[in-house]
Amino acid sequence: MTFSSGFLNLIIYGALIWCAVSALGLAGCLLRDAARGDVW
Amino acid sequence: MSSADAILPANTAWLLLALFSVLWIALGVYWGRRNKSFEDHALAGRNIGLALGTATAAATWITSNTTMLAPQFALQLGIWGMIAYSTASFGLLLFAPMANRIRALMPKGYTSGDFFRLRYGKLAWAIFLVFTLFYSLTWLVSMAMAGGIVLNALSGIPYVWGMSVILAVCVIYTMRGGLAAVIGTDFIQSLIIIVGIVVVGFAVLSHVSVEEIHANLAAERPALLDVLFPAAIMAIFNNLLFGLGEVFHNNVWWSRAFAFREGVAGKAFALGGLVWLPIPIAAGFIALASGALNVPVPAPDMVGPLVIADVLGMAGAVAIFVIVFCSLASSIDSLLAATSDLVTEDIYRRMINPAAPQQNLKKIAQYVTVALGVFTWAVCLPRIGSLATVLFFAGPLVGAMIWPIVTGLYWRSATSVGAVGGMLLGAGVGLVCYFAIGWYVATLIATAVSMIWVLGCALIAKPRFDWAKLKETA
Repeated sequence: MTFSSGFLNLIIYGALIWCAVSALGLAGCLLRDAARGDVW
Repeated sequence: MSSADAILPANTAWLLLALFSVLWIALGVYWGRRNKSFEDHALAGRNIGLALGTATAAATWITSNTTMLAPQFALQLGIWGMIAYSTASFGLLLFAPMANRIRALMPKGYTSGDFFRLRYGKLAWAIFLVFTLFYSLTWLVSMAMAGGIVLNALSGIPYVWGMSVILAVCVIYTMRGGLAAVIGTDFIQSLIIIVGIVVVGFAVLSHVSVEEIHANLAAERPALLDVLFPAAIMAIFNNLLFGLGEVFHNNVWWSRAFAFREGVAGKAFALGGLVWLPIPIAAGFIALASGALNVPVPAPDMVGPLVIADVLGMAGAVAIFVIVFCSLASSIDSLLAATSDLVTEDIYRRMINPAAPQQNLKKIAQYVTVALGVFTWAVCLPRIGSLATVLFFAGPLVGAMIWPIVTGLYWRSATSVGAVGGMLLGAGVGLVCYFAIGWYVATLIATAVSMIWVLGCALIAKPRFDWAKLKETA
């Protein structure tokens, strides 16, 4: 039994999109913290 | 490796190294101006917010291993290899509730050593210090060594120069800026690493489709697609337990739990784990494309950079150099800071000079950071190739500390006898198995033996620990 092409598509594109969303989320979170004066 | 074999010209590599070195040191000096006391230096004033907290949790866990070894895992263990590597994020995810509890139980704590001293007494504390210092120094040396080796392989920069420069830069900005500099640079480094991995990943996929990668693997290396690949499934357990033991015990993570603002620690570690989770897959799949792209791979540990440089040329070589440099710096600076705090707080302050004022402790921590840097540099100089073996050797020590920490944080019935016996028995049996059977079972057996002893002692124990004893004020 082997992993299908569809599964490989899912985890590769899923991981890349997840990373992109994480980077945007981190940047957005820093801007939110900065606006509140909560960075550190 | 000579400059002719490298994927990036040495001049370009030196320029990048110089630019980032100046940036990190300047930021370290700038952020270090806020630090007036040891508490400011070691814990950034205990006021780190969610964005910086999340980024530092993820960035510290992204070592050069993540960006270099994940492709190697994929090449040798296939799809399961990438997924197995991702399970290391569970350490961060499971530490999230523990971080909240640590912050609540020990509002004035400094190190994981403080917890062992107050919770289990001096003998358990001493054993913990021996175990954790051995592990931390081994990790630090292996990271610095990896820095020299990887920079040499990527650009031809001589090993000693690459190792010395990356270590010196991290020592200078950590010494001047303390944890604030480490966490601040971690944020920038984490964004560079993640964005770099995404850009490189999509660029590779623009040259070869996932269907082509799958078809090539099915024809040439079907084992990499096997759902029941035994070696890869075993790697999941090893990675998972090693990750749990490392995060649960090491002061790198405890110092962050103390440094995050109240209410932030749990969320930051959980989000940090989620940020880290996809990275081994996003960085690792590139290795699976080597066959479909006809890229020759003479050494499995260089598969990622070789594929990227082949597909993307100079831009790819620059990208992988920057990603690896940031990955190395984000781990070395954290280890330097956390180990220096452990030596300053647990050895100097608690054993040698209990009356030392905060300002003096800050200076001691800075001297210790420099001393750690010099020690690491001296050990790394001969380029011992077998250090990864020593890190695996530390696996049983790390695994044996999981249960004393978890039960000590949550159960009033957890005892000193349980913690001391669990650490010694677990590590002892684990090390015997390391030599008798192999590295891949050592951590698992150490954790199991320690668990049985610790839980047994807690079940028959009569005394109940008073949590107020953990709220030490000075």
